[in-house]
Amino acid sequence: MNEQDYILFEDYLEGTLSATEKNEFERRLAADEKFQQAFLTYKELSGFLESKFEVEPEKFKENLKNISDTYFNKTENKSRTLRFKPWQYAIAASIVVIFGLVVIINDPTPVYGDYANFNKISLTVRGGNEELLPKAEKAFNEGNYEESLLYFDQILAKEDDYKEIQLYKSIALIETSQYEEAEELLTVLSTGASVFKYDAMWYLALSKLKQKKYEECKIILERIPEDTEVYKKAQKLLRKL
Amino acid sequence: MKDKTIHEDQKYIVGLLQNNAFIIQAIYEKFAPKVINYIKNNSGEENDAKDVIQEVLITIYEQAKNNKLQLTCPFDAYFFLLCKRKWLNELKKSSKKEVTINEEVLSKGDDVSRQAYETEIFTEKQQLFNEMFEKLGNACKELLKATFELKSMEEVAGKLGITYAYARKKKSLCIGKLTEMVQESSTFKQIQNLL
Repeated sequence: MNEQDYILFEDYLEGTLSATEKNEFERRLAADEKFQQAFLTYKELSGFLESKFEVEPEKFKENLKNISDTYFNKTENKSRTLRFKPWQYAIAASIVVIFGLVVIINDPTPVYGDYANFNKISLTVRGGNEELLPKAEKAFNEGNYEESLLYFDQILAKEDDYKEIQLYKSIALIETSQYEEAEELLTVLSTGASVFKYDAMWYLALSKLKQKKYEECKIILERIPEDTEVYKKAQKLLRKL
Repeated sequence: MKDKTIHEDQKYIVGLLQNNAFIIQAIYEKFAPKVINYIKNNSGEENDAKDVIQEVLITIYEQAKNNKLQLTCPFDAYFFLLCKRKWLNELKKSSKKEVTINEEVLSKGDDVSRQAYETEIFTEKQQLFNEMFEKLGNACKELLKATFELKSMEEVAGKLGITYAYARKKKSLCIGKLTEMVQESSTFKQIQNLL
């Protein structure tokens, strides 16, 4: 391929060719295999370069690393506690029995606080929200829900269909006891087709739990289908209610 | 593959793409234990599993971002197969055998292995592209970096102190140069033969 060919590739990809030029280009693509091969590689490389210099993948890797660290720390601790000597099992077993009795005697009703352990959120920076997202993220992760709400609202004012933010906003609303608004948001999310659908149902249930509306909480939990991420914890909570 | 129906587990791919912490955690909780077990039973440790899982998830993410990855098989099987092969490759590397794309393990049989196969080819290409990019001259590297970071060619021209027309032309020629380097490499020819 010569220089002119590569300039042509770029023009074609950017859509700056006239209709006649475009037709001619496509005719050549179909007729000339070498030309086609070079074009396909050029196009693939363009895509590669575009994602190479994006910021999202870095954000993703950071988030992934955090989640991975948390997950593997957990499993490590688990295996460490299992390294008991036999006689320790006996002690452990009797402790379990004693604790078990205490639990049965107290028969505690589950409370919101037991379930409201959110993992840190990490927001991908996208169009026009470069400043707000990190602020929202920080406020939320530090438990400053009132403050995080201010940021979430500003983000949603620019992009009202940002589902992930809607979900976090509703969690912040529950935390600050603004149930009505939270439940309105969550109801919309949980009836839509977004990936947050079942997360939204789970938090809707937690909102009811926090208000001690146990019956309503149960009804929502029962509607969470078996093949979802939140099913297990939903069932656990249901058993306690 | 385009005419096949997309598997409902596509939600995991979408979740990764959106960098959704809930979904990524769910992936770990649901699918990591099997990988950890497998690696522990095959001369590895928990830390090896941690690395393998992280790298495989990054690959899936990158492929999804670049290629619009559409899952036609269960995520579980796809993810496990990728982790398993990655680990077997690591083992081979440490035993100092030469590793290239292993055609034996890459059977194109069922949906799962075909999907994993495509992902592996994608990874090979990413590595090659990165390698070739590093071999470009500094002027090209700088221009391409500015082009894809700044988005508007006017800005690029301004930043590098060149004219708009020259910046555009240079962009095509630099990607053209990269195209040639890639096409001439033996790895690329090997990959093309596998497709």
